[in-house]
Amino acid sequence: MSQPVRQPLIQMSHIYKSYGRVQALEDVSLTVNTHEIVGLLGDNGAGKSTLIKVLSGAVPHTSGDIFMRGQKVQIHSTTDAIALGIETIYQDSALVTQLSIARNLFLGREPMIGPRWMNRMDRKMMDRVAGELLKRVGIGKNIPPTTPIGSLSGGERQAVAIARAMHFDSDLIILDEPTNNLGVAETQGVLRFVRGARDSGHSCIFIAHNIHHVFQVVDRIVVMRRGRVVADDIDPKKTTVEAVEHVITGME
Amino acid sequence: MGGVSRTTDCVGLPPPPSSPTRGGVLHAATIAGAPLSEATASQRLFANKFIARPEFGPLVLLVVELVVFWSINHDFLSPGNIGNTLAFTVELGLIALAMTLLMTSGEFDLSVGSVFGFSPVLMWTLMNSGGVPMELALLVCLGVAGAIGYFNGWFVTKLKIPSFLVTLGMLLVVRGTALFITDGFPQRTWSAGGHWLAQVLVGDFYIGGLRIYMSLFWFAIAVAVLGYLLTQTKVGNWIQASGGNPLAARARGVNVNRTKTGLFMLSSMLAAFAGVISSIRTSAANPNSGTGYELEVIAMVVIGGTALTGGRGTIFGTVLGIFILRVMRNGIVLIGVPGLAYNIFIGAIILGMMALHSWLERRHQAGT
Ligand SMILES: Nc1ncnc2c1ncn2[C@@H]1O[C@H](COP(=O)(O)OP(=O)(O)O)[C@@H](O)[C@H]1O
Ligand SMILES: [Mg+2]
Repeated sequence: MSQPVRQPLIQMSHIYKSYGRVQALEDVSLTVNTHEIVGLLGDNGAGKSTLIKVLSGAVPHTSGDIFMRGQKVQIHSTTDAIALGIETIYQDSALVTQLSIARNLFLGREPMIGPRWMNRMDRKMMDRVAGELLKRVGIGKNIPPTTPIGSLSGGERQAVAIARAMHFDSDLIILDEPTNNLGVAETQGVLRFVRGARDSGHSCIFIAHNIHHVFQVVDRIVVMRRGRVVADDIDPKKTTVEAVEHVITGME
Repeated sequence: MGGVSRTTDCVGLPPPPSSPTRGGVLHAATIAGAPLSEATASQRLFANKFIARPEFGPLVLLVVELVVFWSINHDFLSPGNIGNTLAFTVELGLIALAMTLLMTSGEFDLSVGSVFGFSPVLMWTLMNSGGVPMELALLVCLGVAGAIGYFNGWFVTKLKIPSFLVTLGMLLVVRGTALFITDGFPQRTWSAGGHWLAQVLVGDFYIGGLRIYMSLFWFAIAVAVLGYLLTQTKVGNWIQASGGNPLAARARGVNVNRTKTGLFMLSSMLAAFAGVISSIRTSAANPNSGTGYELEVIAMVVIGGTALTGGRGTIFGTVLGIFILRVMRNGIVLIGVPGLAYNIFIGAIILGMMALHSWLERRHQAGT
């Protein structure tokens, strides 16, 4: 027998989604391979966020199927998606503002220490790992892991969410405009992370307004326009920013 | 820096939430960078952070109360008065401790006062007319209270009815039941003084002239256990997350419903326990007792710095809140203010402390 065919990590096929009368997604199919960084581009309202919300369980789709490594999966909630190894980083990340960075990073997967009945979290370990992760995503400077999320800037919160996705080895990390509201250094941190994600075995879907950023880090570009995928195999090494802009606006 | 963050840690309370700007700790970090000598810088840091803590205001208020009452009437700190004040304070305090966790998880319980009155009525009825031994009667009481809490939790988490309405309804049901089974009359209570269980629950002894009830130890144990639970454990992390951002918590696999339901049960059971203790100590089981306790308890919790909206809670603050209100009640009577004026002071304390907490929060957000 030959080796089984290598399945793509994610396969969304013939996805439809309507918000009442608004057809946000129309027969959209999207494939993400393992160790692949896919850039998702499109004008405002093209349906990018809706597509990834379907994948991350934040909104239900009207029809269509989702496969993971060839297996059909049901994603009804963000919990389902996270359990499948799909982490999503939104502009406004799902963090608990009152809790510290370390407590947020490990929420729901707290490392424990001591006898079980004591239910004690290993806070030393949490703080140490959180500190290391913060450095890796580029906000190590002077922010102790015990800082509550509420006193962080938008970019720092983003970084915390990214650090969480990195630490828990999600198979697919989705970033929806993660560099909005970020400073230059923070943006570089995010881009560095996306580039590094492939090497550490993750796949990514990266949505950004800045096409240059997308060109810097992705393996393949998918373009959406008015709820449809209009191009799904653009190699950033073999094309120009201008050409892609034309595809996005539809003025070929 | 290390020493400072550890201070935040052991109490485990993130300072007030939500701001895009950096506050407290980060601000502190900036100061640390200034050319001060290491020791002064860290001392100042420590002082700053200490003052910014939600427990700081209540602590000052409690000290002021003690000093003022004592200087007007030295009897205020006499062993007799301290013993008297402590006896009931810790009974109410037990309820406030459980309420702190419940409020941190974003809910509250108005039925605790009625459970406080109902449980001893149930226990004495079982013992008087059922011939049930005290041990079993107490277990039944706690079991029934647990069931009441479970119902509260189920209505709130499964039917998504606000806890205000659910526990208001439960207050009426439980109080009504207590009145109904007793015809509104106090229950006959034999003096339970000799029973071993009564000794363990509220047995008293003297240290010098100070009369101490066993309930003080139960209170101390509850403070230690619940303080540990809130700050050091996974359950504590879940409690805070459930109150702070339930959607985010749920997405991370936190069982928000079970966490809240468990806390409703804890709240009911500690209220029942407190009611039983109180009834044995006073040899009385009145179906009307505990009326209005829910509000006093909630006041104690918020005065201490726990957020009514959830996400942030402090057991230490609640202990301060408990003593602030009970010392006030005792003190103003002792210095000759008519007891009827008590509520004026309590109301003023609540308003003052709320103003302080909100000011601290805003100051924090502004990053000053
Ligand atoms: N919650 C919603 N209710 C109704 N319409 C929505 C909702 N969210 C998005 N839409 C519509 O769906 C379309 C796609 O939006 P979106 O996926 O956010 O686009 P993008 O992220 O590419 O800018 C738009 O026409 C938008 O107005
Ligand atoms: Mg969008």
